[in-house]
Amino acid sequence: MAEYSCLIVEDSPMMRQLLVFALARVKNLRVTEADDGVDGLRKLAQTKYDVIITDINMPIMDGLKLVKRVRSDPVHKDTPIIIITTEGSQEDRQRALQLGANAYITKPIQAPQVIAKVKELLRID
Amino acid sequence: MTEKKGRQSDRPPEDLKKERDAFIQQFFRKGAQLTEELLRENERLRDKITELDAENGKLRAHLASDSAIRDLLRKIEELEQEKRDLVTQSVRMVAASDRFNSRYSEAEGELANLANLYVALSQLHSARSVRQVLRNLKELLAQFLGAGAFAVYLVDGEGSELMAIASEGVPVAEIDRLPVTKGVIGEAFSKGEIFFDETRDVSKGSIEDPVAVIPLDFDGRTVGVIAIFGTLPQKTEFVNVDTELFKLLGAQAAPALINARLFTDAGRKVPGVQAFLDLEE
Repeated sequence: MAEYSCLIVEDSPMMRQLLVFALARVKNLRVTEADDGVDGLRKLAQTKYDVIITDINMPIMDGLKLVKRVRSDPVHKDTPIIIITTEGSQEDRQRALQLGANAYITKPIQAPQVIAKVKELLRID
Repeated sequence: MTEKKGRQSDRPPEDLKKERDAFIQQFFRKGAQLTEELLRENERLRDKITELDAENGKLRAHLASDSAIRDLLRKIEELEQEKRDLVTQSVRMVAASDRFNSRYSEAEGELANLANLYVALSQLHSARSVRQVLRNLKELLAQFLGAGAFAVYLVDGEGSELMAIASEGVPVAEIDRLPVTKGVIGEAFSKGEIFFDETRDVSKGSIEDPVAVIPLDFDGRTVGVIAIFGTLPQKTEFVNVDTELFKLLGAQAAPALINARLFTDAGRKVPGVQAFLDLEE
């Protein structure tokens, strides 16, 4: 039975699949996928998640807006958020961290890096 | 008179008597002195014996103490040896643990690489339109290889020129047609061999000087190439999994593109079962 839950908010199916594959190796972690920020908020309204991973650049609602909305949600205001950025988007990264994101992962994504970051935030050995 | 004389002669003379008495007195006095001396000597010797007994006791105690120290030293030596054994064992265990961690890390890396290749393959073949295949291909090149600028070329009908059908980082319009024998792109196409230079900084390339060229194979023929003109600044070299991805793209990109094209041409219709049964004849 899953002890922890993770929400991946990413518009690219390929990136989502990569993240799901990576996180499948974290024991007792249930992973849910959302296509964009709006879909992410919808899923956050239905379930309490222990960690959120979100891309910054997404259609409809980007990652920055999502971080802002999550931090104003009483249920998820303290939920760790990991943002996915590209090396060149330092401003987005800074902005996301200012808005309350806890960590960031730089593309291209490396599975061990994702696993380590999620474990660190969930305090799993 | 003689008797009287005789009786007189039996009796010691008075002076001798005195001398005898004096001698006896002196003899007894000397005896008493000697006895006293002997008693004193005896007392002294008793004291000496007592002293020696005490000294002996101390020596015995000392000996016992030396033995205890020897025992302790032996115990310390044994403990030191035990400590050395434990340290050696601990060093061995740390080394074994390091080896295990290293192997675990390698296995994790290999697993991640396999997952990347699986995702790449499934994404390529899950697309049902050329546009979607190219979109996935671009994302693969950008996300998995960290490619910043690249183009997908296909050979024309005559087999003489390569034409860019999609690109990233450089507009397609700016990419010239290439004779199939020109430069490293033409060479990789003609030979059907992957080209890349392991020694160079792969973030620094150009259209004229690509950092990698991957021939696209379809049914045993080379039908095009993917040319990478440069990677993102943080990606300065290709690693093992990149070369595996080159091979995968070389073998799978063209079939994915052509299948998507044929599927679109067929009006996105799935052939009926008869089409597959006919293959058996």
